[in-house]
Amino acid sequence: DIDITSSPKKLPAGFHEKAKSHKTQRVVSVCQMYFLDYYCDMFDYVISRRQRTKRVLEYLSQQRAQKSLGNERLNEEWTGYLQKEHEVLRKRRLKPKNKDFE
Amino acid sequence: MRENGGPVVTDFNYTPSHQKQFLQPAVGTTVSSHQDLKQIVEMTLGSEGVLNQAVKLPRGEDENEWCAVHCVDFYNQINMLYGTITEFCSPQSCPRMIATNEYEYLWCFQKGQVPVAVSAPKYVECLMRWCQDQFDDESIFPAKLSGQFPPKFISKYVVQMLRRLFRVYAHIYCHHFNEILELNLQTVLNTSFRHFCLFSQEFELLRPADFGPLLELVMELRDR
Repeated sequence: DIDITSSPKKLPAGFHEKAKSHKTQRVVSVCQMYFLDYYCDMFDYVISRRQRTKRVLEYLSQQRAQKSLGNERLNEEWTGYLQKEHEVLRKRRLKPKNKDFE
Repeated sequence: MRENGGPVVTDFNYTPSHQKQFLQPAVGTTVSSHQDLKQIVEMTLGSEGVLNQAVKLPRGEDENEWCAVHCVDFYNQINMLYGTITEFCSPQSCPRMIATNEYEYLWCFQKGQVPVAVSAPKYVECLMRWCQDQFDDESIFPAKLSGQFPPKFISKYVVQMLRRLFRVYAHIYCHHFNEILELNLQTVLNTSFRHFCLFSQEFELLRPADFGPLLELVMELRDR
């Protein structure tokens, strides 16, 4: 193993001046906020989508058990639900982000 | 986490194995140090393997759309991360787009021409513009609800884009990790990269060779 205990921190010249600058401080906090927002939103989406899917599947299996809807109709409902989810996902890719307005 | 309890020393020898020890405390299931997010994550999916779960294809969803959304997300994340170190990554500090001294990435300006060595900021600029052009191309990333993805969208476009976006992570890890540490962005960088790796792994998008300089780090994230 290489002994690194005496190795100096290799930061570029003028690092601390630049790091303290208003500009750097600002991009760093924008970056942190972005990730916080992103992961909150992403988890929220993944979780609520799973819950929606669960509810739809429960509803469909209920309908099947009661024989109130034919197989064809059940498939249609499921496909229709997936199509709606697909559209929501596509809009997420295209949605204007906060940063577009900064 | 430091074994000897000695002074905190950041070493930077262009080898991922030396950076590893600094990655260990930060990489984990905690998404951010921010309390709210931590709570959200713990309350909902549980803190174990949240990201592993989140990358999975939702039931019944089109794999192309799921990959397209992630391409855009990782593009935005890398843009944000690189944006924080633009002051420290200049044509003077990084005249070539390298990751360790063993890997150099060249940019091809025109089809059929020989790829050339460019500075790291130039490479990132070209790469980001190239991604943006693909996103804006309705025949590749359809925006209309009726729009279809091109045949072999994943193998032809997604893989190519992720392979290139990875190089920005590689450059940041290998040449700007100390700056990232000083700016206290290591958690954000590690979370983003871990998410990127888990996603690539889930859909088998990148080969070990694509991870070149960070292979060691990637293996460690995988085994975690």
